[in-house]
Amino acid sequence: MSHRLLLATFEHEDDLIGATTAARRTGLRIVDVFTPYAVHGLERAMGLRPSRLTWVCFVCGMTGALGMLWFEHWTASISWPVNVGGKPWNSLPSDIPVAFEAAVLLAGFGSVFALFGVSRLFPGKTARTVAPRTTDDRFVLVIDETDAAFDADRVREMLEGFDVVETEERVITDRTWFRQRRLSS
Amino acid sequence: MTAAPHAVLSSITRKAAATAVISALLLAACAVAVPGRVWSNLLLAAYYLITVGTGAAVFLALTNVCGAGWNAAFRRVPEAMTGVLPSAGIVLLAVLAARLPEYAWHHHGEHGPGTFWFKEMWLSPPFFAARAVGIVLLWTVFARTLVRNSQRQDTRPEPSGRPVNTAVSAVFLAVFAMTISAAGVDWIMALEPMWFSTIWGVYQFSGLITAALAVMIIACIVLRQRGPLRGVFRDDHLHDLGRLLIGFSCFWMYIWFSQYMLIWYSNIPEETAYFIRRTHGPWGPIVLSSIVLNWLVPFFVLLPRSCKRSERVMLKVAVVVLLGRWVDLYVMIFPPVVGDMPVFGIPEAATILCAGSLSVLLFLRAFLSSETVPRNDPYLSESLQYHA
Repeated sequence: MSHRLLLATFEHEDDLIGATTAARRTGLRIVDVFTPYAVHGLERAMGLRPSRLTWVCFVCGMTGALGMLWFEHWTASISWPVNVGGKPWNSLPSDIPVAFEAAVLLAGFGSVFALFGVSRLFPGKTARTVAPRTTDDRFVLVIDETDAAFDADRVREMLEGFDVVETEERVITDRTWFRQRRLSS
Repeated sequence: MTAAPHAVLSSITRKAAATAVISALLLAACAVAVPGRVWSNLLLAAYYLITVGTGAAVFLALTNVCGAGWNAAFRRVPEAMTGVLPSAGIVLLAVLAARLPEYAWHHHGEHGPGTFWFKEMWLSPPFFAARAVGIVLLWTVFARTLVRNSQRQDTRPEPSGRPVNTAVSAVFLAVFAMTISAAGVDWIMALEPMWFSTIWGVYQFSGLITAALAVMIIACIVLRQRGPLRGVFRDDHLHDLGRLLIGFSCFWMYIWFSQYMLIWYSNIPEETAYFIRRTHGPWGPIVLSSIVLNWLVPFFVLLPRSCKRSERVMLKVAVVVLLGRWVDLYVMIFPPVVGDMPVFGIPEAATILCAGSLSVLLFLRAFLSSETVPRNDPYLSESLQYHA
């Protein structure tokens, strides 16, 4: 199945956010937005649901902390009790620093690898950009033209209002374009 | 512009004034009955307030040296928080002066156990008093300068205040780093002169900045609900203050535990005396509650994004943190003064009410004495459109 897409290019992030908000309000389907850097507020304009990455981070961190606490307890007071300065076998304060480090380590690695997994990033992956200048100084909003709400004249008029510098129609057959957008209603 | 918010806030002012008068009378009666307890209560309250006021100045200085623009919209709130400084400083100096001849270290100076020439010199009453005056003066003067330079922009359209304030802020941060260590050691740690902790200064700073952020959050939310900051203080600002609060709450826990663990591990009697007194017997649960209030509650409650953007949740967490700050200082100050049995009664409640209501009055007076929004600030529009 192929999709006809409209690529609208902007020079300023304010215009991009304005156009994205307007497109969403008029019921258009936003396929994706390409920017050279993280634009704050864009996820709200696109209507993206909050990232689930924070939960991955939290669960990994808790796993690291609790797992390491249990492991330290098991090694130092069950499997092979070691007398350190006459302290009790199960001395909680001495376990905290390592548990804290394990929490940080697992939360960090867990978040990064979960991000790589979800966005299908890996070393040596070929970059897929709609336009090379989105890596430099241009912002591109991609709208689905096949969508029922799409009315070419009205969309063009709306985009003109936000100083669009260039529009381009493109037919896309690659379905991965549509895979990762978690748009809320 | 100042007339309208005044009317909305006048009910708070009236209630605070009434509470201040009643609790001050109550406190005066207590001072006759139990002077020792009132003294430690006043030390706690004065130190609490002066660190909150200075913490607000530190927040201003930090954001200035970072070139931060996000906080411009509600910058008058931390600026007004420094309004508590001269009064709290004067009370603190009076409290210290009242007990200067009786501070415990005074009696075992003169080649007593554990003293050597530096400690004797450092804790000699004249030097101690001079340092206290100097620290209070430095904090007040720096905070005043930061606020005055910022408010001068209201009448002068050109953005001249910011570069000057950035330079003042950099000097203040260096001065503050040294003076907070000296202040904490002099006013709190010296209550137990035989005990020492080298992380004490950082520990004092961690509590100071957390409490200052909590006060800032409460003030911003109340002022938004009551009008002056409506449409100015946004959820995005609240979100960032929440991030700072959870971050510095973890910082406090980190420093608290660092101090505890090293003393626990090395197990040297002259160091462990502090914690043995505070973890055995009835003080134990109070130390635990300080950890719950200062770290456990803010950490787990503020983790979700929606909680950091919720007025209701943030208000509650900020109140919990302020309570935690009181318990933290209570555990530092009271054991050497009142002994092994924790006390809480009319003197404590009266001091909290009196200090709280007076600081609300001082805050509102400072807040209403200038424009409630720095309208000529070059960063204002950036701050108003800020996305967290």
